[in-house]
Amino acid sequence: MAVKNRLINPGAGFARAGFAGMLFLAMLLVSSMAMAAKYDVVPPSGTHKGEDVPQPIEFPHNTHVKDNGINCMYCHTYARRSKVAGIPPTSKCMGCHKVIATDKPRIQQLTKYWEDKEPPPWKKVHDVPDFVHFTHEKHLKTLVFDREFPVEDVKEVCAFCHGELENMTVANKVKPLNMGFCVNCHIKNKDLGAPGDCWKCHK
Amino acid sequence: MSLDNILNHWSDYRKGSEEGGHHDYEHRWAMAINLDLCIGCNACSTACYAENNLAVVGKERFEKGQAMHWMRIERYWDQQELEHPEQGASFLPMMCQQCGAATCEPVCPVAATYHTPDGLNAQVYNRCIGSRYCSNNCPFRVRYFNFYSYYESAWPEPMEQQLNPDISVRDKGVMEKCTFCVQRIRTVKDKAFMEDRPVQDGEVVPACAQACPTSAIVFGDTMDEGSMVSKLWKKHQVERGVYQKTRHAKKNADLRGYRIFEDLNVDPSVMYLERVREDI
Ligand code: SF4
Ligand code: SF4
Repeated sequence: MAVKNRLINPGAGFARAGFAGMLFLAMLLVSSMAMAAKYDVVPPSGTHKGEDVPQPIEFPHNTHVKDNGINCMYCHTYARRSKVAGIPPTSKCMGCHKVIATDKPRIQQLTKYWEDKEPPPWKKVHDVPDFVHFTHEKHLKTLVFDREFPVEDVKEVCAFCHGELENMTVANKVKPLNMGFCVNCHIKNKDLGAPGDCWKCHK
Repeated sequence: MSLDNILNHWSDYRKGSEEGGHHDYEHRWAMAINLDLCIGCNACSTACYAENNLAVVGKERFEKGQAMHWMRIERYWDQQELEHPEQGASFLPMMCQQCGAATCEPVCPVAATYHTPDGLNAQVYNRCIGSRYCSNNCPFRVRYFNFYSYYESAWPEPMEQQLNPDISVRDKGVMEKCTFCVQRIRTVKDKAFMEDRPVQDGEVVPACAQACPTSAIVFGDTMDEGSMVSKLWKKHQVERGVYQKTRHAKKNADLRGYRIFEDLNVDPSVMYLERVREDI
């Protein structure tokens, strides 16, 4: 059982499991802790109450992630190979929605954008200041690919900074994403190679 | 850098290059500038303006000495007494020397300027409070202060479109200086990290070196033995942490390397190539 890799975010595991499941999980965790200690990532802590960001189409993350089990990186495909995670092009939406749920008003809205050849004016929700150098690809490489963390569970890693999108409709900023938030996590995960040099992020 | 940290590690922090420096260095970026190749065209300076969002301050402020040219070309006459064009101009591109024992660092009251594990002298704009101590303590006069919010006038529409997104636009009250194009270093290092390999020599090319029509500027990592810059430093017997005033007395025409103000023991990372004709 690849328990070692599951240890990436024990906190999230507890939150989802019921109380009975929790006991079982706790036992599992403790038994695997010893052999898996070096795989342990300490997730960043802190919460934030972001303002609602109205989007042109009320995109339901929960339907896609929770109900249909679509991987975050299926749509936000640039996350693993560039600085930004990116918003998928409308063609990617249409790839499915030419045939799926075409009777829903939101899909019809989307189809209209597609037919008018207009990109929906999506708003950025998670933004760091302009003086910050942040790369998605390096974080994903360190936390997922280099550790052989199961890619199908990548949402647990994304949740470190983006919250549990599977329980949101339109994305909302629920983590502070300020310097303290970043630095604390970098200090705690120094062993994984998280740098502490100012010029790694400040530009 | 907390007070505790300073008190406990002060002697470590002040260790010179001859003792290995105060870091476990990952890289030590350095340059070799061949002054015999430099034709004083200012292409490097222009490239630096474009790459690093340097504000053009206008003639008046320039005359007051408020220009923001991180890279400036200093012009000297070999024979002052002669008439132009016989005077024999020589040029020297001057920018932050990324000193190994930088005099600007310990005087900063908020540690906005500090030494990175890359051997660079960093300037963190967000942290800088504009005390200007660093600038006054730099023997090379290569730090530039934002006396005004230059961005308000330096890039009239649509010129703001040319700003480099990889480096911030500085506002009033902040010190700045050559960074060895840290944004380019960062990009290359990120790429190397993604490909699980070390950074190759010649991969990082700062804007000034890229623009130089005579390739007078060579950039690289002196920790990488095989790099061009290491070889040049070695060939001209220039070494970090070593004080070599006497070398020039050898009158060996092949040994042209020298570092400016080496005798101050600031351990600059830039080697210039030019026969030193007068004794200092
Ligand atoms: S040249 Fe001046 S600004 Fe640059 S590191 Fe040396 S002392 Fe500091
Ligand atoms: S290395 Fe970059 S910042 Fe420094 S002088 Fe050259 S172009 Fe300017």
